Parts: sequence; C-alpha cells; structure tokens
Amino acid sequence: MIQVSLSRIGVVALRVVRQLKRDRRTIGLIAFAPIVLMILFGYALSGEMSGVALGLVDEGGHPALRSHLEGIEDFEILRLGSESDAELLVSQGRLNGAVVLQPEEVRVLLDASSLQISQAILAAAQSGAQKEAASLQRPGVVTTRYLFGYDLEMMDTVGPAILGLVVFFFTFINAAISFIRERSQGTLEKFMVSPLSRVEIVLGYVLGFSLFTLLQSTTTLLVVTFGFKVPMRGNPLTALAVVLLLGAGALVLGSFLSNFARSEFQVVQFIPLIITPQIVLCGVWWPMQSIPEFIRPISYMLPLTYAGDALRAVMLKGSSLTEILFPDLLALAVFFLVFFAAATLMLRRQVD
Amino acid sequence: MGPAISARGVVKSFGQLRVLDELTLDIPRGVTYCLLGPNGSGKTTLIRAIVGLLKLDAGDLKVLGTPVSRVQEIYSKIGYMTQHKALYPDLTLQENLEFFAGLYGIGKQEREQRIVELLKMVNLQGLSRRLAGALSGGMYQRLSLACTLIHEPELLLLDEPTVGVDPRLRQTFWEYFERLASDGKTVLITTHLMDEAEKCRIVGYMKAGKMTAVGSPDEIKRQAGLKPHLELWLKDIESDCARLRAEGYEIEILDGVARLRLESHKQIKSVLEIVSPLDMRLKEPMLEEAFLQLSEAA
Ligand SMILES: Nc1ncnc2c1ncn2[C@@H]1O[C@H](COP(=O)(O)OP(=O)(O)OP(=O)(O)O)[C@@H](O)[C@H]1O
Ligand SMILES: [Mg+2]
Repeated sequence: MIQVSLSRIGVVALRVVRQLKRDRRTIGLIAFAPIVLMILFGYALSGEMSGVALGLVDEGGHPALRSHLEGIEDFEILRLGSESDAELLVSQGRLNGAVVLQPEEVRVLLDASSLQISQAILAAAQSGAQKEAASLQRPGVVTTRYLFGYDLEMMDTVGPAILGLVVFFFTFINAAISFIRERSQGTLEKFMVSPLSRVEIVLGYVLGFSLFTLLQSTTTLLVVTFGFKVPMRGNPLTALAVVLLLGAGALVLGSFLSNFARSEFQVVQFIPLIITPQIVLCGVWWPMQSIPEFIRPISYMLPLTYAGDALRAVMLKGSSLTEILFPDLLALAVFFLVFFAAATLMLRRQVD
Repeated sequence: MGPAISARGVVKSFGQLRVLDELTLDIPRGVTYCLLGPNGSGKTTLIRAIVGLLKLDAGDLKVLGTPVSRVQEIYSKIGYMTQHKALYPDLTLQENLEFFAGLYGIGKQEREQRIVELLKMVNLQGLSRRLAGALSGGMYQRLSLACTLIHEPELLLLDEPTVGVDPRLRQTFWEYFERLASDGKTVLITTHLMDEAEKCRIVGYMKAGKMTAVGSPDEIKRQAGLKPHLELWLKDIESDCARLRAEGYEIEILDGVARLRLESHKQIKSVLEIVSPLDMRLKEPMLEEAFLQLSEAA
C-alpha cells in the first residue's frame, strides 16, 4: 500500500527549497543562463529545411509559378479548395504556409511562428513569380499575409523554446545531482528508515523544484517579452503551467537517471545524451521538417518538442489551455508519469 | 511482549561473502545492548538487516514483534543512526532537526521543544543556525544522534554513535542511554570501546557473522574463566612465592613482580596473612581479554 501524506511532501519540499536557496551559484545560473542562451541561440543559429508542408489554392492564372513551386523538392504540396481552408490549416500548424494563386494576384500565407520556413516559402514564391513575370512580360505581384499580423523576429520562435530548454536543463541536472547526493551523503538510507514513502520523496522534490521553476520561468518570460519583444498573446499563466509540467518531467527523469550514475561527475556526462538531442531535435532551431524522417520519431519522444510547441502556441498564437491539451500537454503529462513511476520504482529500500 | 529484536538463523551474503552466518540473537526490551566485534564482523550489516534495508537470504527476524518484511509499518518507533554521515551539510542544525521531525509528523510546538531539549543534551545549544557541514567531527556525530532521537523512538539502533565524541560528553550520552533504557526503550549500540561496553546491560560479541558470546559484562568474564589478579612486589620473591604456592595459589613471576590469580576478592586477606608485600596492585580482568579468549575458543 502506498501512503501519501501532504505534510511529509511539504517537509521534503521545504527542505529542497532551503538547500537551493542557499546555493548562490545555482540561483545565479537560474537568473543569467536564460539570457546568455537567448543571445547565443537566438542570434547565432539558423537552419536549413526540407519537407515543408505547403498548401496550394489554385484559382487560375499562374501555371508557371505553380509548376515552379511543385518543382521544389523540399515542398510537400497539398492542394486546397479555398483560401479559408488554407488559413485554418496554417493557423492550426498543420501547414507551414500556403500560396493562393488568383489571376490578378498571388498571396502567400505564412505561419508567423516559424521564421525560417516562412522565409523559404516566400523566397520560393517570389523567385517563381519573377520567372513568370519575365516570360509574360508583365510584373508579378506577390503579397504576403502573416496570419498573426506582426513582423516575425528570430527571437519569437526561439524565445519560447529557450524558456523550455533552460527549465528542463536546470531541473534535470539539479535533480539528478540532488538524488546522487542523497545517496552519497547517506541521507537516503536515513530517511528510507522513516515513515517517508518513495512517492512522497519524489513528489516533495517536484513541489520544491517547482518553486524555482516558477521563479526561473517568470524571469525568463520577462526577459523574453520585454527584453526581446516577443509577443505574449496568450495567458502567461498558461505558459507557466506548460513550463511547470515540463520541469516536473525533467525532475523525474533526473531522479531516474541518477540511479545510473555513481557521482556528480558521472551525472554531468549525461548532458550530451539527454540535453543535446532535445536542442537539436525539438524543432526550434532546426524545424521538424528539416530533420530526416527516420529520426523524427525521436523528436516526438522528447518533451521539449511538445513544450516548445505549446509555448509558441500560447505566446505567439494566444492558444488557451484546452487548445494545447492535445497533443502537447498530454504528451508532457505522459512523459512525467512514465518517469515518475520509473523514478519511484528505482528508489528501492532494499539491496540484495 | 516479546523481545525487542529476535533473530533466528539469519543469513546474508554479499556475493561469495557470508556476512551474517546463521546468526541467532535476542535483545530484550528496555536494555542497553552493546554489539561488539572486529571490523568487518557484520555489525552494521546486522543493523541494516534489522531496519529492513537488506533482503535476507534465510532466517527469521522480528523487530518489536513485527516480522522484518513488514518493518516499514513500525518505522515511527525506530531510530536509526548510521555509522557514516547522514545529514544535510547545507542545512543548519535547526533545519536538519526540523526535517527529520517533520518526517514523523511532529507538530510545531512539540518539535521546537524537542529540538531545544536535544540540542541541550548533545551540548550544541546556541549553534542551531550553523550549517551542519561546518561542524567538527564530534559535533556532527552529536547532531546526528539528536536527529535520531527526535521522534522518541522505542527502539534505538546506534551504529558507533560516540566516535569522535569527547570523554565528558560520552559520559552524558551513556547516562542518557541508561535513562532511555530504564524508561523502557531498547538501545542497541555498536562500539569498539570496551569501557562503553562495560556500561551496557548486555554485551554481544560478534565474529564473522555469528554471535560468539552474549551476556552481562561480568557474565562474559566469568564465561571466559577470567579472574582478577593481584600483583605483588615482594622483598624475597622466591621464598614468598614458594610459601604461597604451598597454600595452593597460582603464581607467575614477570619482571620481578609476582602475579597471583584470585578466585575471589576475599582471598586478598588470606594472601596478606601469608606474605607482607612492599607494594601491591589489584588487576581486574578486562572485557577485551574475555572476548579474545572466547572468540579463540569459538
Ligand atoms: N553492500 C555491501 N556489498 C558488499 N559487501 C558488503 C556490503 N556491506 C558490507 N559488506 C561487507 O560485509 C562485511 C561486514 O561489514 P559490516 O559493515 O557489517 O562490518 P562492521 O562489523 O560494521 O565493521 P566496522 O566495525 O568496521 O564498522 C565486510 O567485509 C564488508 O566489506
Ligand atoms: Mg560498522
């Protein structure tokens, strides 16, 4: 039987908070790491892509432009009946963009939350229109519509994801090291022989670290929205909820993996294995469409993929909690539950 | 109520190494019980088995009447002080004590009162805001004991609690342990110090995973056949010894001193009727010798 007492969870959480509070280095990292990362990633990275999902609404008049677009290998063209269909799919994130061909005008619908892809689509449409204009001896007109009606900055795409990344990284490393310490400093053995249950230990940690996650996400959000002028169209509390769920997942993953390390030194060596793939594969710096297909299933197993997606939806599209429930929140919840179970099972009292 | 701890044929191996070897032992309630034994004899392993941290290979182990497989149910009655450090170095004394008190659901008021009491007992009052990591070795040990006692456990398992503690405070500890035992609590202590063992109601000697001798310190000495000795400085050692031997006394001469084995202290008087030494000294048997003798015999 598993006993869960809220007061014991609170006792563990309070202890975790007291320990972290005293750790100035960590507090400093919480505050400054996000800013440094934003500068590094935000300005230094840009990606290539393939497999862009592009909607095409053909109302006639531009056969040359159409075949130009169809000829681009990276584009997966989906033919659509109307511009409103295209709008819907783009705003749902199902399409990266759409081109509407009308005899007198060419309109490009772009997904404002994905910069590189938008630019590639626009560039393709413009170069196609130029070629067509040259052959038809009349100027080609391409108008652009950003579905969210604002100018897209690199930071808009990257900011929300950095928030997720920073929280994940901080919580993962600190949780893993904390659990290693519980073992090496003997306190685990000591409280194993007390009424504290394994579930309470892990939940206490989740609760204690959540406070720091909140602190960190609040400062990061402030920097992202005021410093880097990324819009916050949705409810900031919804964004915090996403981040808290992500942080909880990172914590239980750290706790689980601490069982496979014997020292803090070894924990640090998990970073390349756990953190780097998330950076590369979460679809922020390199869009999901640019990741080779056989690796994409891995992307779909990484929590940062969903957290980044949800945060972008909340911040850039103003999505509500229910709109990001599926698949993002659900996936994050599943990730948390799986590793919560794994972490508690690994906290065994007995050794053989 | 049965014994506080009863073990029957307990076996625990780590790989090839049989650390607890069909160990059998009974610890009655309300005593101070001292577990002695050389390094690696399995004392810590036995304590870890008692608190349910080890999966036993065989045997039957009951703790406060509860089978060890269900010992979690009575964790609130057990206080376990580990041999090695087990506190949070980055928390203050007060915070460490509060944490462990919290695990046992002790209310705020009672907790504050217990913390003050215990800090006084271990003579750390006034240091409650210091970080545990900044304590000296002996102070750390004292805090560790305080954390173990915070919930007033019925059964105390203390693995070398007095290591590094100064003699004066050790004295205080032992008085405290005695008091706990007379309040009906059971205190199991491991130590390598014979003077501490002498203070315990019962002493158990462990060797290679077995109990080789158990009893009160006096019983153990008797079991080992150890007797007090009288050391005599005699004017004419040869002739005096001859006279004593004639009366049936066992005597050895070592470096000009006669060592006479006493059956009882009463014999001292009759010895003095036979010889009049320049000086003399009574040597009580040492528990240590008793154990050495007993474990060689075992
Ligand atoms: N987890 C373990 N894995 C393997 N061997 C172990 C383990 N724990 C203890 N041992 C071995 O079991 C033996 C008994 O160890 P234990 O710690 O019980 O001795 P002890 O009597 O407490 O000694 P000391 O007086 O030095 O504290 C030692 O040889 C030790 O190396
Ligand atoms: Mg030991």
